[in-house]
Amino acid sequence: MATRVEAQTSMNALDYDYSSFFYSSSDDPFAILEPYNDWFNRALPQGYYLFAQPMSTPPQGEIHLVEGLHHDPIRLLNLSSYNYLGLSYRPEVVAAAQAALARYGLGAAGSPILSGTMDVHVALEEALARFKGKEAAMVFPTGYSTNVGLISGLMRPGDWILADQNSHASIVDGAILSKANVRFFRHNSPADLEKKLKTTTGKKLVAIEGVYSMDGDVCPLPELVAVAKRYGARVMLDEAHSAFVYGANGRGVAEQFGLEEEVDIHIGTFSKALGGQGGYVAGSKNLYNYLKGFARSRVFSCALSPVVTAGVLEALRLAQAEPALREQLWRNVAYIRRRLEEEGVDVGDSTSQIIPIMVRNDRRVFELGHKLLRAGLYLQPIIYPAVAKHRSRFRVSISASHTCDQLDEGVAILVRVLREEGILV
Amino acid sequence: MSSDRNEFVQYHFRDAIGGFFEFPTENARAILPPELQPIEPHHGSSVLSVMAFDFHDSPVGDYGELILSILVAPLIRPGAPMPRSAFYPFRLGTTTRESREHAIERWHLPHYMQDISIAWDRGDGHVTIHATDRGAPIVDMTVTEHEWSPVEHRYQSFMNDEEGAYTSTIIMAGQFSENEEERGGITIHSQAMTDLVEDWEVDFTPFRELWMKDGLQTFHPLQQLASYARR
Repeated sequence: MATRVEAQTSMNALDYDYSSFFYSSSDDPFAILEPYNDWFNRALPQGYYLFAQPMSTPPQGEIHLVEGLHHDPIRLLNLSSYNYLGLSYRPEVVAAAQAALARYGLGAAGSPILSGTMDVHVALEEALARFKGKEAAMVFPTGYSTNVGLISGLMRPGDWILADQNSHASIVDGAILSKANVRFFRHNSPADLEKKLKTTTGKKLVAIEGVYSMDGDVCPLPELVAVAKRYGARVMLDEAHSAFVYGANGRGVAEQFGLEEEVDIHIGTFSKALGGQGGYVAGSKNLYNYLKGFARSRVFSCALSPVVTAGVLEALRLAQAEPALREQLWRNVAYIRRRLEEEGVDVGDSTSQIIPIMVRNDRRVFELGHKLLRAGLYLQPIIYPAVAKHRSRFRVSISASHTCDQLDEGVAILVRVLREEGILV
Repeated sequence: MSSDRNEFVQYHFRDAIGGFFEFPTENARAILPPELQPIEPHHGSSVLSVMAFDFHDSPVGDYGELILSILVAPLIRPGAPMPRSAFYPFRLGTTTRESREHAIERWHLPHYMQDISIAWDRGDGHVTIHATDRGAPIVDMTVTEHEWSPVEHRYQSFMNDEEGAYTSTIIMAGQFSENEEERGGITIHSQAMTDLVEDWEVDFTPFRELWMKDGLQTFHPLQQLASYARR
């Protein structure tokens, strides 16, 4: 009954993904390069070209970019950029950055613990601490390095880090670098956090996010904080996507829930709502002082460019001075959400300015992405392993700077393509 | 039964279902040969794969099979197609003695040495299997469906016994559905076939559910490895 059959070699590139090439065993570290590149070159025209197409304009409502398949310059309606408050290209922000360029030059030319700290860095840290109502705030060169530096700077082997299973890679990598024990609890589940906390002893840190970047859902902060406190765990809250956006004063989900004191460590980034770059940790002065010595991702990086720092400082001033920006953002979010719901579009569990357009098919999301691009809409496909298998989607990011006309046009293109492709009936 | 070791061997099945469950990597390392590296979907968590097959046409007739495996890093070879996943099966149970002896002799797969029973409960959009040994429950597992599409997937299996270390490529072709909607579930009962798993902190909701219908499993010829470390 054993039979001779032809060996099959014509596997579809989309049966594989990035995760297929992470692990491999052989005698040569380069052995994976050829299979990876062979796969990637076949996957590129099937949809991977949609990632990282170079843009030649600010991340505003309409952009120009060089399309990745045929390298044609095209104009697109942009629903992909963060820039939630539209501050990235505000004239005041640009002017502040230009003035800093003239005053300081391009870079900080040193680590923040050596020669890289300039008065503009201190000004930003002090302004942030005042804004957050905390004793101190520390600026990091990127959002990624913020979580990596904080977690690996604070936690040690034998300690416990309990992180939401949908945690950003920077939390995961910080936890790995710390060499602490790591357990992931089910997404937004206080019950599973409690189950995991019950079996831990010693120092414990619970890592959660205000708004999750792929689903746009908000954490159940009161319940999670209550569980963490019951077991003596410290709580770090990453508000990368909720700082300057949520809360009566823009201080994030912690402010929205009235838990600013209960959260022990406040994390945020400047690259989302403020349209800049970098991240921060806000908390006690003691925490600040300790991290200054032990947050290695900051210690061993060049300080944030003074040009960006000055721009962020101005963006922070505007975000505080103009609450109308947040109000406009939430009007835009409500408007597009209503339009999408009217059309029957599946937006998953989102309640925020991040609105996933659920496709739930890892192959078709690329076909749709291709058609959306041709139809004039810039949306990023999100696939496994960034999200769970076949929970693929497009991620809509709304900005205060979007006009209703732009949102209408975006919805019209989206709905037309989803209908043509049978995703929307 | 053919004994030509260079031939491909085919097994036709009605249904094959699988669940991927997270469990602590220290448990995985305890039973993996030291050279095999477990796949970690999350830092510190490895993947327990539980699969069940309902074969209707094979070199040993119709039979059922329950497989407990750990997902491991695949072996890369110059010019060879990349497997989609690689498995290290550490305990298999079959419903017939003939199928068990065939798999041990031909594929060096480690078996539970009693005949087990597998009942298939096919519902609307889901299937549940109940594996038992002389009436005693072993595993109950449910997986749910997503969209179906015809596929042909390449996998790699690592085996070892007192005779040596082996690998084989396995092609799975059929109507396929997979999802990570976390709707399925598993109960692993305390029983001789599952004794290795008994103390593991297995997450009982599969993070991935797989289901193939009307499929064909093709084993490529077995290859003996000098060791897992030096291939």
